[in-house]
Amino acid sequence: MTAPTTTPRRLVRRGVDEFLRFREASILLVTIALVVYFQTATPVFLTEGNLVTISHYVAPVAIIAAGQVLLLVSGEIDLSVGHMYALAPFLMLYGMNSGLPVLPAIALALAAGAAVGLVNGLVTVVLGVPSFVTTLGMLFLLSGITLVTSNAYPAPIPDGARGVSGWLGGGPWAEIIWAIAIVVVFQIVLSRTRWGLHTVAVGGNAHGASEAGVRVRNIKIGNFMITSLLGAFTGILEAFRITSIEPLAGGSGIMFAAVAAAVIGGTALAGGSGTIVGAFLGAVVLGVLRDGFNLIGISANRFDLILGAAILIAMVLNVYLARLRTRGAV
Amino acid sequence: MRKIHPKVEEAVDTLDLNPVTRRRLLAGTGLASASLAATALLAGCGEDQPAAKGAGNYPVTPRWKFVFVCHVTAHPFFTPTQYGIADACALLNCDYQWTGSQNSVVAEMVNATNAGVSAKADGIAVAVIDARAFNGPVNAALDAGIPVVSYNADGEPNNPGTNRLAYIGQPLYDSGRSLGEQLIATGFNGGEVVCFIATPGSLNIQPRSDGARDVLKESGVSHTFTQIATGTDLPAELNAIEAYLQGHANIKAALAVDGGSTDALGKTVAKLKLKDKGVIAGGFDLQPGTLESVKGGSLDYTIDQQPYLQGFLPVMALYLYKLSGGLVSPCDTNTSLSFVTKENVAQFQDVKTRFEGSDTAQKIVPRSGGIPHK
Repeated sequence: MTAPTTTPRRLVRRGVDEFLRFREASILLVTIALVVYFQTATPVFLTEGNLVTISHYVAPVAIIAAGQVLLLVSGEIDLSVGHMYALAPFLMLYGMNSGLPVLPAIALALAAGAAVGLVNGLVTVVLGVPSFVTTLGMLFLLSGITLVTSNAYPAPIPDGARGVSGWLGGGPWAEIIWAIAIVVVFQIVLSRTRWGLHTVAVGGNAHGASEAGVRVRNIKIGNFMITSLLGAFTGILEAFRITSIEPLAGGSGIMFAAVAAAVIGGTALAGGSGTIVGAFLGAVVLGVLRDGFNLIGISANRFDLILGAAILIAMVLNVYLARLRTRGAV
Repeated sequence: MRKIHPKVEEAVDTLDLNPVTRRRLLAGTGLASASLAATALLAGCGEDQPAAKGAGNYPVTPRWKFVFVCHVTAHPFFTPTQYGIADACALLNCDYQWTGSQNSVVAEMVNATNAGVSAKADGIAVAVIDARAFNGPVNAALDAGIPVVSYNADGEPNNPGTNRLAYIGQPLYDSGRSLGEQLIATGFNGGEVVCFIATPGSLNIQPRSDGARDVLKESGVSHTFTQIATGTDLPAELNAIEAYLQGHANIKAALAVDGGSTDALGKTVAKLKLKDKGVIAGGFDLQPGTLESVKGGSLDYTIDQQPYLQGFLPVMALYLYKLSGGLVSPCDTNTSLSFVTKENVAQFQDVKTRFEGSDTAQKIVPRSGGIPHK
């Protein structure tokens, strides 16, 4: 009997196979390819200043995508999260205007975010309105509240909030640190806890999950609350970063970016599978593309064209690799 | 190897690749080849040729690149602005980038400005639609030695919101005063005035309404001034304006301070035949519907803020700053003092030009006759 021969070549081959078996592998390859390309195209790509700019493109999308992945995996979607993002910093402002110190005011805004998620969840699972419709209604409702209460006029960050600004998006790296922390926490929740297991079960087969004793409604409502709360938190971070509270901030743009990041990162829109780290990498791809296009000077109108093509190419590669993976070819 | 179109080869040559990458790119293999090819083609479309000789009398310069950050990059108002930028850059052998947000998302504009600083742009022009958010990015650009001007929007009245070198565009409050002054010049002698506004409080339109209100107050003509919100999409604006005008039979003058409301106001005045009652109506911008109404007589006047110049002049200002080593500094420029009335509307409406964004072709626009004056 002889030991199986392990030539270096075969080792490499096996290493590649192991790597490609990770669901995030394909998107990681795309990310690396883009970084290499942009660094060759413009030497300033990997300078500190530009990395900070990229992190500002990536962080808000990544945080919202973390929530959106949980929802998508459990078979629902939240279209209103971008408008919660716009409303939250105004709620913080109103809280402070009525005499609250900054941290309770932020807590109030986050609680409002969770409450909006609760309403989204209750209407969806108790009344049986599809989440696409529920949250579409909530989108307009929240936007209306923001515009009416703010008179559609931007407001400054109140002086009393200056002290915490550096922690909450004011510091150059603050946002991305929050984003990474949130991604790590929720990836652990999704892949290592009962909540995550149930989320996957609910999205894969709600009926079966419920027969097996999973409390489907609670899982869905909880995920709505997490998504909306993360949306509120992102809105506050961004307000501190740009030092202004904007009635037109966020909106559908950031919501779609988060869904795109989730999908690019391998989350199935139909539910049942997805990873938050993948969505983070999806957000990195979008951020690198946007920043890189700005650096090499592609104008706005061509920009969407190329972004759209890039998303499609990334997705096609992703689906292709996934098929190879299920066939056992890699 | 398959046959490659010579234009593609030419475009790929601009990418400065090593021979292997080049071959793989042309053969269409490799992960990034699609995006590389797209980029090369775009770059090949005439943005990166070195300047063979200086512009006019000027010495040969590097191809300076100016970044324009806009709040509504795809809005038709800014089509002539982009032509203005392109024409000025062609004159001066410069390049430009048109970027920002599609729907007034300030965070995206801030990111685009910061990316311009990272990319070491030779100059930046920003539409400052927020009085605080752009302060940091503009300071960072100035610290990096990049000249910055604002165009089209410049913070709040009495607070430019940034340390930009100059503003090139329409001073909003002053343009509102012009709106009111023209109303009086057109023969308004008292009564109810209504002013329609898409989004009250918005930095880029509310000052106009305030300017019109103040001029009427100072004029001593006895009147009432009511501001009505109309919203931002045309069907809804039509409904709001029609409802108000039908419910207020004593209106003597109707003003609108944004492009959409002006368009809707003209249509409603025609529909309700308010001209028969002697109502005076005026507004802003040159949307096709607005020009139609001016021609038909349902709008007495509309104010042109010359978006072409809002692109052309910032390039000139930034170029001269670079060329003169900062000695020739950008100066505040008002692009707005042009009224379109029944007398001169034909030249805007009938002739399709780059200057109004209605045509892409370069051509000389003929005119004849005397120039209207007071």
